[in-house]
Amino acid sequence: MLSTLELSPQTLDAAAPVRIAVKNLDFYYGEHKALKNINLDFRDRHVTALIGPSGCGKSTLLRIFNRIYSLYPEQKATGEILLDGRNIIGNDVDVNELRSRVGMVFQKPTPFPMSIYDNVAFGIRLYEKPPKSELDDRVEGALRRSALWDEVKDKLRSSGMGLSGGQQQRLCIARTIAQKPEVILFDEPTSALDPISTGKIEDLLEQLKSDFTIVIVTHNMQQAARISQYTAFMYLGEVVEFDATNTIFMNPHKKQTQDYVTGRFG
Amino acid sequence: MTAATDIDRTLTAPVRKTPMGTFDLVFRNASLVAALFVLVLLAGIMVSMVVGGWPAFREFGLGFLTSSVWDTQNEQYGAWPAIVGTLSTALIALVVGVPLSLGIAVFLTQLAPPWFKQPVSTAIELLAAVPSIIYGMWGLFVFVPLFAAYVQIPLSNLVEGMPVVGTILYSRSPSGLGILTAGIILAFMIIPFIASITRDMLDQIPSVLRESAYGIGATTWEVVRHVLVPQAGVSIIGAVMLGLGRALGETMAVTFVVGNANRLSSSVMDPGSTIASRIANEFNEALGLQLNALIALGCILFFVTFVVLVIARLLVARVKRY
Repeated sequence: MLSTLELSPQTLDAAAPVRIAVKNLDFYYGEHKALKNINLDFRDRHVTALIGPSGCGKSTLLRIFNRIYSLYPEQKATGEILLDGRNIIGNDVDVNELRSRVGMVFQKPTPFPMSIYDNVAFGIRLYEKPPKSELDDRVEGALRRSALWDEVKDKLRSSGMGLSGGQQQRLCIARTIAQKPEVILFDEPTSALDPISTGKIEDLLEQLKSDFTIVIVTHNMQQAARISQYTAFMYLGEVVEFDATNTIFMNPHKKQTQDYVTGRFG
Repeated sequence: MTAATDIDRTLTAPVRKTPMGTFDLVFRNASLVAALFVLVLLAGIMVSMVVGGWPAFREFGLGFLTSSVWDTQNEQYGAWPAIVGTLSTALIALVVGVPLSLGIAVFLTQLAPPWFKQPVSTAIELLAAVPSIIYGMWGLFVFVPLFAAYVQIPLSNLVEGMPVVGTILYSRSPSGLGILTAGIILAFMIIPFIASITRDMLDQIPSVLRESAYGIGATTWEVVRHVLVPQAGVSIIGAVMLGLGRALGETMAVTFVVGNANRLSSSVMDPGSTIASRIANEFNEALGLQLNALIALGCILFFVTFVVLVIARLLVARVKRY
């Protein structure tokens, strides 16, 4: 039915442990209830895509996992999100430490106003004090994994702001993985990039899933189909359907899901 | 016949003349004149300052810059105490004012709850609108007595006899007036400028950058110190330089509280004078060489301000390159 969608052969490990469990989650922007009773399981070392039309709450959901919403006092979440069994939306959570374990890559590249090297080392230095040689290795390793090393190895001391958009986004990914987080959140990481840069980022995601649990929000259906193993379709603040990506795209159970993935609305 | 005219009409494009053509020319020249006016004005001020101050420069030579004598009876004039006073009050203003301003700006943009942010922002804007004579009056009648009683006297007792600080902070006549007082009042005056510009700059930083800095687990201090302030860096330097410019040239408030002493003291607690306060104090009765010396002082202030501007430009260029 979806001949235009290219589905990569997905290896699902149904026995993979659940890394993040969302239970009865509600979310409020002030008085406005943006998420209603979300229940989802995110499996360890799998890519889970969140899809749905604009305003459906997928980015909102993503921003709860690292408590970035806590920067805004009027935003509030109730319910439970268990990361390795620990509720991360409780008041007793050390949000800074949580954020070092749950990395996030944003819609637009956000290099910090410092050198390429320092951009990557910044996150490491926040929580560890490795000796110089080890720090160098970690920075190089992160840049290699984000497929940026060859392009920047001769100019590590120049500003990260001088890179192209695609390079900046890979720098942000390097910065995130250098911290060795357990989970990486991607909030439409390619929406501001050209097709070639997008391809590079997608290849990268493919490789990262062997080490990290990945949650990605995307507007691009093909992207979700290509890179994820699980997909949740959201609409108006609710999860309409959550299943293996192949099922969501080839054989969805709900008519709404089918309409959306075939482009009939959204 | 009718057909032919129809064809003619479609083939020959109508000749149009812009009715606004002449006006455009006038407008262009008018704005050119406006732009030239600035250059003429600047050149005019420069020339008249140099011409007016020339007799003093010719009479005393370089000694005018380095001499500490200001003797109207014997017509001997030197600018050194006023130059030192100007630079030291401005420096004190920056040392006191810049950290406070950055603190205000960071608090308002990053930490303040919304109900508190608005009143403080408005208060800063109102503070910027207070005329300098008000600062001077308030400084003289309110701040100076308190400063004498609670800072100068106890501090002088404390540091008396100590090396270095015993000189710099000791006040021989604790009147409350002096270089430090003037510097502090100047700090109050430049805080609104630096704080509100810095606040605007921090507000303009896209929230996604701030979120991603928090997103890798940085604390508020780390986000501000390593990401937000460097990001706004150039503009903050610009704001500081604007404040410095104001501090160097401020006249009225300084004249009230600086003490207007013509001699140079090694203590910041002692009265002194700045270029602007010296001019304001003496211009009324100045004649002959004294008048020339005052104009020459003005020249020096002009030059110092110009140098500050150049340094600011260089700093900004250096930061931009990185």
